[in-house]
This record gives sequence, C-alpha cells and structure tokens, in this order.
Amino acid sequence: MTNITISPFNRVEGDLDVEVKYEKNKVVDVKFISRLFRGLEIILRNKDPWDALVITPRVCGICGGSHLYSSASALDMIYNAEVPKNAVKIRNVLAMAETCQNDIRHTYLMFLIDSTNRLYEKYEFYPEILKRWTPLVGSSYKEAIRWSKKYTEIYAIFGGQWPHGSAIIPGGVTTDPYPNEINKALGILKNITSNYLEKVILGGDLDQFLNTVKSVKDLDQWSEDFPESDLGKIWRFGNELGWHKLGFGSGIMLSYGHFPKDEYVKEVDREKDLIFRAGIYIVNKGELVRFDQKNIMEFINKSYYKYTKGDTIGLHPFEGETNPNMSGDKGKYTLTKCFRYNLNGELITPEVGALAMLTVGQNPLILDIVNKLGPSVLARVIARIVRVSIYHKLIEDELEAFEFGKPTYKKPNEEKEGKGYGLVEAPRGALGHWISVKDGKIYNYQMVTPTEINMGPEDPSNNKSHVAKALIGTEVVDVSNPVEVYHIIRSHDACMVCNVH
Amino acid sequence: MKNLLWLQGGACGGNTLSFLNAESPDILEFFEAYSVKLLWHPSLSLESGNKVKEILNEIVNGKIHLDVLVFEGTVVLGPNGTGKYNLFAGKPMKDWVREIANIADYVVAVGDCASFGGVPASTPNPSESVGLQFRNKEFGGFLGREYRSRKGLPVINVSGCPAHPEWIMTTLSMILKGKINEDSLDEYNRLKIIYSTTTQFGCPRNIYFSYKVGLKEFGHKEGCLYFNLGCKGSFTRSPCNLILWNNQSSKTRVGTPCFGCTEFDFPTFNFFKTEKNKAELPKQLPLGVSRGSYTMLSAIARSAAPNFLLRPLVKKEEKVDWID
Repeated sequence: MTNITISPFNRVEGDLDVEVKYEKNKVVDVKFISRLFRGLEIILRNKDPWDALVITPRVCGICGGSHLYSSASALDMIYNAEVPKNAVKIRNVLAMAETCQNDIRHTYLMFLIDSTNRLYEKYEFYPEILKRWTPLVGSSYKEAIRWSKKYTEIYAIFGGQWPHGSAIIPGGVTTDPYPNEINKALGILKNITSNYLEKVILGGDLDQFLNTVKSVKDLDQWSEDFPESDLGKIWRFGNELGWHKLGFGSGIMLSYGHFPKDEYVKEVDREKDLIFRAGIYIVNKGELVRFDQKNIMEFINKSYYKYTKGDTIGLHPFEGETNPNMSGDKGKYTLTKCFRYNLNGELITPEVGALAMLTVGQNPLILDIVNKLGPSVLARVIARIVRVSIYHKLIEDELEAFEFGKPTYKKPNEEKEGKGYGLVEAPRGALGHWISVKDGKIYNYQMVTPTEINMGPEDPSNNKSHVAKALIGTEVVDVSNPVEVYHIIRSHDACMVCNVH
Repeated sequence: MKNLLWLQGGACGGNTLSFLNAESPDILEFFEAYSVKLLWHPSLSLESGNKVKEILNEIVNGKIHLDVLVFEGTVVLGPNGTGKYNLFAGKPMKDWVREIANIADYVVAVGDCASFGGVPASTPNPSESVGLQFRNKEFGGFLGREYRSRKGLPVINVSGCPAHPEWIMTTLSMILKGKINEDSLDEYNRLKIIYSTTTQFGCPRNIYFSYKVGLKEFGHKEGCLYFNLGCKGSFTRSPCNLILWNNQSSKTRVGTPCFGCTEFDFPTFNFFKTEKNKAELPKQLPLGVSRGSYTMLSAIARSAAPNFLLRPLVKKEEKVDWID
C-alpha cells in the first residue's frame, strides 16, 4: 500500500489536497481535503436579504453569476415576485454567457493541458497535442485566452461587469437595454461563433453540428469529416488514450434544470417550464426519475463542523447549520460538507455538471454517449463542448425574443418573513441557495454547491461521494505521475472556492 | 526575465479571472512584452503537488530570485490565529506569505481582499481575515505598517472586487519598468492614476445627479441611483465609468448601484437602499461636499431640472412613478 498526498492539487479554482491510497498501481482509497474556509454563510446572517446579491457572487470568481441567479431566485420565491419575460431572457443570457466562458476556460486552461503530460510521449500524435494544448503557448490554448473573454463582454452589456456584477434582483434585472445593446451582444456572439467556435472547436458549421450529430456514430463521422477541429482531436485522442473508460463514478446523474422559458411568479415547474428539465437519471437502468429539493440533505460526520443535534444526522438546507470547528473529533478531515439525496429511502451520491445536465435534459448525443460508453472523463469533456454549442443558439434565441419597451423589472413586495430556494445549473452543475428571512433580515443562508455534491466526504454509512467512486479501482501507469487521477478530478471542473464558501 | 509568482489566500479567484479578461495586451502578450516568467499560478500552471513546494522553497531559499509576488485574497489567520482555515502546500498560507514577502522585490495586493480584507473580513470575520498591509483603513494588515519589500516599497494595492484587468496591468507594468515610487501611490498605497477619480466620472446618469433627479425603482435607464437605490458612486474612488468593464459597461450603466468595492470599507452592506437622515437627504454625501452646501445646492438644482429629465427618455408610459 502506498499513500500519496498531492498538495496542492491545482487548477481547481481554489485550494485542494488529494490523498490517494494505492495497492500497486490501483487506486484503493481517496480523500479530498478542502483547505480554505471563509464563512460567507455566517457573514450573511442578520444582513438585509438583498445584500446576498452582492455577497454570494463573491463566493466564486468564475461562476459568481450563477450564485447571483440562485440568490435572486430564492428571494423571488420569498417575495412572491412576478418576473417579467424580458427579465427572464436577460437572466438566461447572463447565465449562459458566463457558462460558455467557464466551459472554454475549463476545457483548455484547466483540463486539456494535462494531455501534454510526459506519460503520453510515446503516442504518435503527442507533437500535435503539444502544438495545440501546451499552456501559454499552444495554438488552441492561445485561442481560448483570446476568445473566452468575449463571452464576458456579452455578460457586461447586460450585467455591467464580469466577474461580480449584480444585475439580477428579485423581480427581474436592473438593466433596461435598448435595441442597440441587444444587437451588439448578438454581434459579439456571431463573431465568436464564426471565428472561434466553428473554426477552432467544431471545425464545421454550428447549425449542422447541432442538427446532425446525435449519436456516437455521428460524432465519429464528424471527427472524420472535420479532423482538424479540436472536437475531432479530443474525441480521437481521448479514445486512444482511454479517456472513454476512465472515471465512471456513481452512474447517477442529477440536474436541477435551468432557464425558465417565460415570465413567472414565485417559482417554475422544474419538469415543464424549464428549457433544461430537472431530474435524476440512473445510467444502468436508463431511467429518469423526479427530483424534489425536499430530499436534499447535508452531513458533517467527516467535516470540520458541529451540528447542534449531533454530528451524525443529515439536515435539509432550510435547517442547515454552519458552525466550523477544527478541533477534536477524530475522523474529521475536510471543510466540505457531505451532500446526499434521499431517493425512496436510499441515500444516493449523484454526479452533477454539464454531463449530468445534458443527460437529464435528454440531449440525444450525450445520452447516446452515456448509454453506450458510460459517463467517462471523455464524455464530460465532450458534454462541455456540446453545451457551449447549444448555448450559442439559445443566447441568440433569448436575445431575439427580447421585446424593447416591455418591462425588465417588476418591484416585488419585500416580505419580512419567509423561506425560499433558488436552484440553477451553474457551470459545474447543480447549485442551490436556501434562504430563511425573519424580521426583514437573513436568518439562515445555506448554499449547496456542485463540487460539494461531486467531491464531498463520506456519509455516516461510509458511502463515498461520486468522484471518489470514479477514482477507486482506477489503474494508474505511474503513481509518481498519476495523470489518470488528474484527468478524473479535473474532468469534473472542480471549484473549491464554491465547495467551501 | 522577471519572475512573477501569483498566490491566492482567502480568495474567490475573481481577480485571476478578471486578469484573464485583459485585452490589448492580453495576458500572454503582456508576459511576452514585459519578459515575465510566471513561476507558478494556481489556475494557470501545469505543476501540482511536490513540484509546487519545490518552486516555493527555492524562492524562499533565494535559489530563484522573485521580482514580483502577486497576492489575491485575504491572509487568513483563523481559527484562533493558527491559519488552519487556509492551508497550502503543507502549511498555513500566512506562513508562506511572510516568508515570500521577505524576499520579494515587490509585493502586489490584487483585489479588495488582499488590499483591505474585503468580503471575508467583514463582520463577524469568521476566518479572521486581514489584508496584506491594511485592515480596512488602518495599517493593521498581516505584514504590518513598517513592511517594505526589497525595493523599499510598501505593498502596492490594486483594490476593487475584483480589480479591473487594466488596473492590474498598469500597476504591474509600472513595477516591471521600475517606474513606481511612493509618490505614485495614494494614502492606501494604490496607483494615483487609477484611484483619483470617483465612479461618477463618466457615469451616464451624472446629469440626473447634477439636477437631483432620482430613480425610485430598478429597471430603467433614467435617473440617478444615489438618492434612493444605494449607489456609492459619488464617494467611491474608481475609474469604473472611464475604463469600462469588459470593454463594454459598468454597474451604473446597467442600473446597478455602485457598491464601493474599491474602498477600504467594502463591504458596507445595505447595498440597494440609500440611508437618509430626518430631512430625507442621503446620510453619506458626495466626496468632499459639506452638508450645508449640499442642502443648498440640492434645492437649487432640483428646481432647475430640465423637463425632459423628469420623463422617460424614449418609452411612452401613461404614468411615471419611478422618477423621483
């Protein structure tokens, strides 16, 4: 048995140590140890509920807009806010632009540069990998630096600035764009589509990609037809490097769903009224089941926190507590709480992220990949590219549907008491905020983040979370250079600053 | 070559992401133009684990000369001064910061957290966070009032939550050219050329401010956000409306109030409401204005407000109850 701690494990938006146990070359156990606590939920106590719109985006520098969307949606619910259609469209555009930015940066800056690892030197296509994906100098790396920020321009047109704009508020958005602003955003999007997405990533026409690539077979064909595209290279090299067999994990996909289609009051039906529906997909059964936020709970038996009623119980976020405590208590080792979902009495350990979102959302290509090949490292990378492609179309649709002259905001009544939650699909998966308001102040604020869902510690029955399951059993070629471990963790687009906030 | 090391403490990574948004030059062009060798960065570098410790130890031992340390996020001292809420490469980040700040030619605090403590350090400061040299407006930061880097300068602050990429690059480029001295810095050790104007400079709502025409609810292009909706733009020093965000906009341009995130006291909370006194005038007045002169000016200005500012500019609406 060899015990190796990777400290720090970088390119995960924050501080992480990973402790891996090997038997010979096989991973037999793993612990994710998060290393940063700021206590934003504690800071939010007793503040004006609207202040959450400024504080929660600052949980995370790369997906703050998702926290903002969650926060505002939770307040919508508490205030019974009527959200006008125009506001829904602008909110959706903000969230999609941010996610596109994230998915490009994650793919090239965080994930793909591991493909330049010396372990792959023996492959004949290694020079091609180096040419494209080497950090700071690779051709596609440079393109990612050049183009990913263009999405933030779209965000800023409506959100004022990125990161850390606060233009989404209960009842709508603060902005009131004129048609020239809509046109400018469309122009920027078109520019990215033609000169980046189609040229570098897809290699071919976006509409053609979305309309014709619906199965593994279609993707094989696309990669043959457009062999110089990054998508084609990732698919081909990924298959040759075995990324399609790596890191399956729990085989349970959870998505909260995202993007209301129309105006709404208070909240929307997550199965009907969202562009991407919510649900839980059980891969080996091919079965999609209903999601209900009531079944979410958080444990802290391995986490540096105390619950007032004992450390072995699970709490729904409305009852959630954040009382950090790093002393005593043997067996506690991380600042991340443990997320579980109660599915008919069984505590499941789902995977969240682009792959889960598109699987639950019934995207034909991603469903086919997951069903035929399994939810692998490669499937996750492909899912991110597919999501960016879909979002390009959706951003266009939402902007075209904006009706100048109609309201972007309807002032809600600020109820002094109430509870609300806001659920979204953040770039790295299902994100929820649960807020209780008393006497017009925040009484309890709980955020449950995607990286916590994927990479939390064990629950009281010693069940591992999804990414730990994805790692255990993996054979690595070289324990001193475990690129397989890097791939599995980074394919989940981990975000440690969200994970512990 | 100039060696640059970028570390994150109690951070969200927002300044790194903001830096990545830099355009003309972008970050790669910038590194090339200024011959910067990025020794390590938590989000941009290939190296993980022991390799990182090696690099850090070689810097501390003087084997690698460090020209610039860029630090993002707070220095976390909690719990109880141990720094265990932020462990990095085997020990509290605060210990790395101390060791590396001792040998760096220049130290740059990027963002409000590293400059003043920012969001993590706000009440009740659960992580016992401080800025590198400041705790809010006091020299109560981690490195202490007397700290000077090897080139004799205090920590150079680039405040803002996040800092704009152009502010970061301008500061770094002046350092790399050796063109920065104490005279270039304001009382909070920020570059004067960036932090001498208020957010209001260049705000398109400035005309409404001048004639004291306020906006009562969000979602409109018309009206100033200062009178009712919490905007701190008239007393916050930043060039947010002069050097636009993401080449496009700013908070006030999209109807979001300025939250004062470049200032030492951010976050002050109650961000979307203007606190007023008994006379219904804002408690906090524009930078450098006395209450007497403000009261006098308000009365005159409001009575002189041109009619077209009291109506929607473009939209036809029967009743307009959102302009004050």
